[in-house]
Amino acid sequence: MDSYVQGIIMLAGINLMAVLGLSLLTGFTGLFSFGHAGFMAIGAYTAACCTVKLHMPFIPALLVAAIVTAGASWVIGKLTLNLKGDYFCIATLGFGEAIKLILDNVQYFGGARGWPGIPAYTNIWNVLIIDLIGVIILANLIGSRHGRNMIAVREEELASQIVGIDVFKYKLKSLMISAAYAGIAGGLLAHYMTFLQPKMFAMAKSTELTIIVIFGGLGSISGSVLGSFVLTSLPEMLRSFDKWRLVCYGLAVIIIMISRPEGLMGGYELTPSSIKKMIFNFKHRKQKALPVSEGGK
Amino acid sequence: MLQFLQQLINGLSIGSVYALMAVGYSLVYSIMNFSNFAHGGVIMLGAYFGFFYLTIYKMPFIAAFAAAALTTALLAVVIERTAYKPLRDRKAPFLYFIISAMGASIFLENIVIATIGPTFRTYPQVVEKAPVAIGSLSIGRLDIMMFIISAICLGLLVYVIDHTKIGKAITATSYSTKGSALMGVNTDFIIITVFAIGGLLAGVAGVLFGMKYTVYPQIGFITLKSFIAAVFGGLGSLPGAVIGSVLLGVIETFTSGYLSSQYRDLIAFVLLITVLVVRPMGLMGKVTEDKA
Amino acid sequence: MKKTLALVLAMTMLLSIGLTGCAKKEDAAAADTIKIGWMGSLSGDQAVWGECEFNTVKMLVEEQNAKGGVLGKKIEVIGYDTKGDPQEAVNVAKRLTGQDKVVTIIGPNASGSAIPIAPVLEAAKTPDIATVATNPKVTVLDGKVKPFNFRVCFIDPYQGAAAAGYAFDVLGAKSAAILYDTGDDYSQGLTQFFEETFVAKGGKIVGKEGFKTGDVDFRPQLSKIKESAPDVIFMPYFFKEVALSSTQARELGITATLLGGDGWPSEQLISMAKDAVEGSYFVNHLDFSDPGVADYKARYKAKFSKEPEINGFLAHDAFLMFVDGITKAGEANGEKIAAALENVDVTGITGHIKIGKDTHNPEGKDAAILKIVGGNYVFQQKYAVK
Repeated sequence: MDSYVQGIIMLAGINLMAVLGLSLLTGFTGLFSFGHAGFMAIGAYTAACCTVKLHMPFIPALLVAAIVTAGASWVIGKLTLNLKGDYFCIATLGFGEAIKLILDNVQYFGGARGWPGIPAYTNIWNVLIIDLIGVIILANLIGSRHGRNMIAVREEELASQIVGIDVFKYKLKSLMISAAYAGIAGGLLAHYMTFLQPKMFAMAKSTELTIIVIFGGLGSISGSVLGSFVLTSLPEMLRSFDKWRLVCYGLAVIIIMISRPEGLMGGYELTPSSIKKMIFNFKHRKQKALPVSEGGK
Repeated sequence: MLQFLQQLINGLSIGSVYALMAVGYSLVYSIMNFSNFAHGGVIMLGAYFGFFYLTIYKMPFIAAFAAAALTTALLAVVIERTAYKPLRDRKAPFLYFIISAMGASIFLENIVIATIGPTFRTYPQVVEKAPVAIGSLSIGRLDIMMFIISAICLGLLVYVIDHTKIGKAITATSYSTKGSALMGVNTDFIIITVFAIGGLLAGVAGVLFGMKYTVYPQIGFITLKSFIAAVFGGLGSLPGAVIGSVLLGVIETFTSGYLSSQYRDLIAFVLLITVLVVRPMGLMGKVTEDKA
Repeated sequence: MKKTLALVLAMTMLLSIGLTGCAKKEDAAAADTIKIGWMGSLSGDQAVWGECEFNTVKMLVEEQNAKGGVLGKKIEVIGYDTKGDPQEAVNVAKRLTGQDKVVTIIGPNASGSAIPIAPVLEAAKTPDIATVATNPKVTVLDGKVKPFNFRVCFIDPYQGAAAAGYAFDVLGAKSAAILYDTGDDYSQGLTQFFEETFVAKGGKIVGKEGFKTGDVDFRPQLSKIKESAPDVIFMPYFFKEVALSSTQARELGITATLLGGDGWPSEQLISMAKDAVEGSYFVNHLDFSDPGVADYKARYKAKFSKEPEINGFLAHDAFLMFVDGITKAGEANGEKIAAALENVDVTGITGHIKIGKDTHNPEGKDAAILKIVGGNYVFQQKYAVK
């Protein structure tokens, strides 16, 4: 497999980590964030600091990055999660921009001119393995009590509060986990590109991540996986239409929202049992046309 | 002292641009309770419409201005019908509206890039460029014109809302859509009207922006500042939007002029967070309680 | 649950690998064409420059093929858009080297794109000649020269210093103020070196203000600068912001001379801010009215019906470098071409290009100082920092 295809897969995998985090925040907890790239940036620069300045090995560096990013998100979360929806969105927007601004000006990290010479630790295997671990953790989280609480918050915040769910606590948890994922993604990106520039984490990146989550479907992990791989490789395949790519994305987002907000996967997960069911339903569709007996028991 | 006054003038000038943009945005929020992120794209197109009417059709200035505002109003209504109405009909959660709005804004920005091209355009000179000099203070003629036009637009808006039947209907709908419908208000029509007014304001803002600076597809990005200003002043409150914008413009300018121009935006952000922590609904915002 | 999700992940990955791998797999270089690659911004703010570069390379490839090609074979150029994004640049570089199998890449124009592709070039042993990437780290990192990166333009330290030196020595400016773009690497680089040189010569920096990329109103910063009454104001950024900031400066009543770098020259600067930039100076790679240049301009205009931008001239010389390199190497082999490029010595339309072995940069290339008079760029002199 040549390095070009490998590169695309690695990028898709890196995006996937961040998308998984965002999916938890937006898809499962219902919070829209404009500044997720800011968390990626924090993770990226932290990881680079660890490997370049502190000479730490790769995996511990990533873990430190995740912890630092989660910590930053704790601060932001404490300040802003109390705000109503739109206010929170604007606050995340401001946050994303603020991070980029700080990084542009702090020369220790290279400033706007960037930070070259980061060791190239990322390779296709550790990206995919980290992705796998990420998916497993997330799937278990969603299936657990915590995950169900987050979904409850998304569906109907007031009712959740009445039932006794500590809405603020769960929003914060969700934010911290999603930030940690983004932080790891950032660290992976730094060691793939071997170069960091704040420009890489501008609002365009946040928007790109959100679009992937939407395409894959809000509330679906396999949707996010599919979305990441498809939407990272699609631009490469359709290079000649590139001018129109974002136009189509914008239009597609609107259309998805109006007609099928569940996105590609429709809130369902792609598992062998559901595939078996689909095949079963397909085979037996004729029988479904039989009249249903009237009256219930 | 002179420097202080000059910076104040600069700040008011920047703030007035934000104000025009923020008002349209806040107006829609007050009725629909959601942030129309596509507003930035609409403003940008307003600037382009004005530019084309002036250059290609060579219309006289007033006509071009009015035509641009009307075309933009039409655009805003079209966006509402296609991107938001279907969601309203399905009673979709608020999250979907924001996403749809984001999609619309990406679409608008990129369709301009793909068709008209990314290079920026300059408005033909309509107003004498030389600024008015008071002593060694300088006030742009365009700024004075903008101030007058903004004041007229906002004055008209306040008049319509407070003293006309349709204005009252808009206010009623902003408090309760269902309630107004029960009272016989055609809420669908009201919503269209609100978006149209928002579009008019966006068109005016766009043309003035284009005249003052230049026309390019990423104007929507600047409007993010005005969104922040609207939030700062309190979403849903029109006076709040104006005051928030002017304040933001002045604070930004003074930060740049006296503290640090590099970290200007950071300070604006910190200010925003501080205000929101202390007053979660902004300076003058509507307190919207979740109705159980 | 774990097993099923692992299965899901694996299936999805295979699916996408299949999709991407199958798409656009070019045949290995046909025996009788030599493939070169081009990368640069065809979209975004710098699209107008990238377009010009690509057009120039295409035009020169045609002309060279009409003369018999190089090493007896025809040249084919394959170009991709980096969108001004470092990530895209890496993708494009991998595609050019891995799938299209080019022997040399010309471009990119942005340092932010040129720096991260170094590992890709090394892995593929393919040399790259950057056109207008002026960050020193493109070719030299931590004191070591990168074996496969070259460039055909001068670097930021040189440019910033040239501007400062000219201002102090020739224009006689004793005080200077700088307005720069904090979010742009080019702007930050020039600012740093301008400041260093100006102060070293004995000048005083009386103001240093920043703005964010995308800003349109510079009056707060300019008002502050006006207070400190500098002799010159250095504006090291690109034409759109230059047009806006210079107009606003004049409106505020600032009469100081404006100074800039190679991000200035563009038709749009003149159309937008003709009066404001009247009498300003900027550092450029060449003299636009040099007779050697006029020929290229005429050919470009005839073919594409518009004036070439600054990038075109440098792309032209980058191509000349390539031709010289591959001819000396005698073979369409990346490694050999890279070795040959280290000894390149050609005269192009931007001057005499002699590549230094330790830096892979053109050595001793003088900067040209241009002045804007009546909407035209008038050559003043060649200037080298002492």
